[in-house]
Amino acid sequence: MLTIRDLHASVEGREILKGLTLTVQPGEVHAIMGPNGAGKSTLAAILAGREGYEVTQGEILYEGTDLLEMAPEERSHAGIFLAFQYPVEIPGVSMVQFLRAALNAHRAAKNQEPLDTAELMTLLREKAALLKLDPSFLTRSVNEGFSGGERKRAEIFQMAVLEPKLVILDETDSGLDVDALRIVAEAVNALRSPERAFLIITHYHRILQHIRPDVVHILADGRIVRSGGPELAIELEEKGYEPLLNPA
Amino acid sequence: MEVLLREGLSLEAGAAYLTQLLRQAARENLASSPLRERALEWIEGADLQLLFTEQALKEDWKYTPMDFLRQPWTLQPFEEKLSLSEQVAPLAIESFPIPKSPWEALLVGAPVHRHIMLASDTPLHIALRNLGGLALELITVQVPAGARREIQLSIEGTGLSLVRLHLHIEEGAQVRFYYPSEGAEPKSYRYLIFTAHVEGKASLHTYALTTGTGWKRDEVRVFLAGKEAAAYLHGAASIAEGGVVDTAVRVEHAAPHTESNQLFRSLVEAGGRSTFQGRIYVARSAQKTNAYQSHKALLTATTAAAYSRPQLEIFADDVRCTHGVSTGFLQGEMLLYLRTRGIPESLARQMIYGAFLAEVVEKIPSEALRRWAEAKLLRM
Ligand SMILES: Nc1ncnc2c1ncn2[C@@H]1O[C@H](COP(=O)(O)OP(=O)(O)O)[C@@H](O)[C@H]1O
Ligand SMILES: [Mg+2]
Repeated sequence: MLTIRDLHASVEGREILKGLTLTVQPGEVHAIMGPNGAGKSTLAAILAGREGYEVTQGEILYEGTDLLEMAPEERSHAGIFLAFQYPVEIPGVSMVQFLRAALNAHRAAKNQEPLDTAELMTLLREKAALLKLDPSFLTRSVNEGFSGGERKRAEIFQMAVLEPKLVILDETDSGLDVDALRIVAEAVNALRSPERAFLIITHYHRILQHIRPDVVHILADGRIVRSGGPELAIELEEKGYEPLLNPA
Repeated sequence: MEVLLREGLSLEAGAAYLTQLLRQAARENLASSPLRERALEWIEGADLQLLFTEQALKEDWKYTPMDFLRQPWTLQPFEEKLSLSEQVAPLAIESFPIPKSPWEALLVGAPVHRHIMLASDTPLHIALRNLGGLALELITVQVPAGARREIQLSIEGTGLSLVRLHLHIEEGAQVRFYYPSEGAEPKSYRYLIFTAHVEGKASLHTYALTTGTGWKRDEVRVFLAGKEAAAYLHGAASIAEGGVVDTAVRVEHAAPHTESNQLFRSLVEAGGRSTFQGRIYVARSAQKTNAYQSHKALLTATTAAAYSRPQLEIFADDVRCTHGVSTGFLQGEMLLYLRTRGIPESLARQMIYGAFLAEVVEKIPSEALRRWAEAKLLRM
């Protein structure tokens, strides 16, 4: 589904990703852990299509096509979804307006008719309930005045609405209390299927107890330095990065 | 004076001449004054730009391009649709303010002067069409005590339009003033000097809604004369390439318990320009006053320009006053966020821009004008 080969990327002349290789198959859940500044968000941003990165070497194939040639909206239509670490506020654009435009753009890409308002509202209310979000949240401006936890839940709500094929969660668990974390994990698990894949960027083992990964990678200094099963996450939590990065 | 006129006036002499004219006119009915003819004779041949750049006014015009004033203009009256009117000397209206600039003085001598007593509650629509020349008009409107009135001004066509509008709003009256302007013609220059005298418990709501490529300056001066008088001034502008929207607002709180709010949003595209000067003046006697001001400009390209200047002069101590001015480019992060959800770039931009202006547009009470603004400014 996703093949990243020897990816080198820099920002303003500074190399951040230094030969990253990663393969994700449909149905898999991959966790990416690593110290601050390792390049995790950079990887997520490049996958989602943020500008300003120069890919100097390597390639990214998504379902066999060159991902780097695709506009962010095309990636979204093709099934990629990034839950941002720091979602921005869009003042004046309500969640309903926003998701109507998003859903209808997805539908247009598939030559489907736009949703009518009743269908849209039914869908949005159902998904909001899934995330235990108050219905009034639909009429509020996107992320405006949301608490940290609300923002994260709103990201997962969008994921639930758009039903993407490849989901990237960038530290979605940070700042969530136990209950919110469970709600988020349930929504993610509800979406798990043999056709979908997840890339979960996190610092903590905690979320991985709810969403069990198939593979755990450690990203340090721009490349994946170790991969293993779920037990790697536990080892990391117990010992920290130091012994893993600099084995005696 | 006569000699100077023939030879063309120097800057100072021009201003002095007009000031003198004005003082004299204050004692006469200008509509029938030979002074009026003389002022007009002068304006036709004059380098008008001199008037704008007169030293005392320089600061007010600093960021406003006005090369068009260099071309010679020929006087030509507006084509107008105006049902009710009567000729009255403007200065016979008690609250008519002393002109602040030579321009304004000139307008006191405009060839057409209408005085409208808004006795009936039919909305007043002042529709002016400029046929391509220099058109001047002076309109004074009196709103009787306790009345609720709607006034709409439109200035269409090409050419240089100078309009002087004064509202006298009596005790307890409520006025909504709409000034939608499409400015689809790049060669349209509309200069409005709008003043309002608001008596106790009366209120004024204004809505300046602008789109397009024309040149426009609105000078707005509101005088809150009586206790509990209020003014809520709104502006939304979507400025395209070559367009200039220049707004200079002054709200003067002269009585206690008065309230004002200035809410302006300008969306500026490549090659467009927005300037905003917002003054709040609170007199010493105007205790328990609330005065707010918010002006934001959103630039959609690096060749767009916006200048904002808030000015507060507060002499009372028990006053709540806030002001916020910001100018910025569209945040790339916002655009990216919408696009990662599948929204095409052009629509994403439109949504962000639309939402920016919607803050003002959604406050328009008139359904028809709100729809108009949604279509023209928000492109919904
Ligand atoms: N837009 C940017 N401009 C400059 N430096 C950046 C930018 N984005 C990321 N970096 C730098 O790249 C490195 C990796 O950042 P990031 O991918 O956010 O790390 P992580 O998510 O693993 O904590 C950091 O040193 C960060 O300062
Ligand atoms: Mg990060």
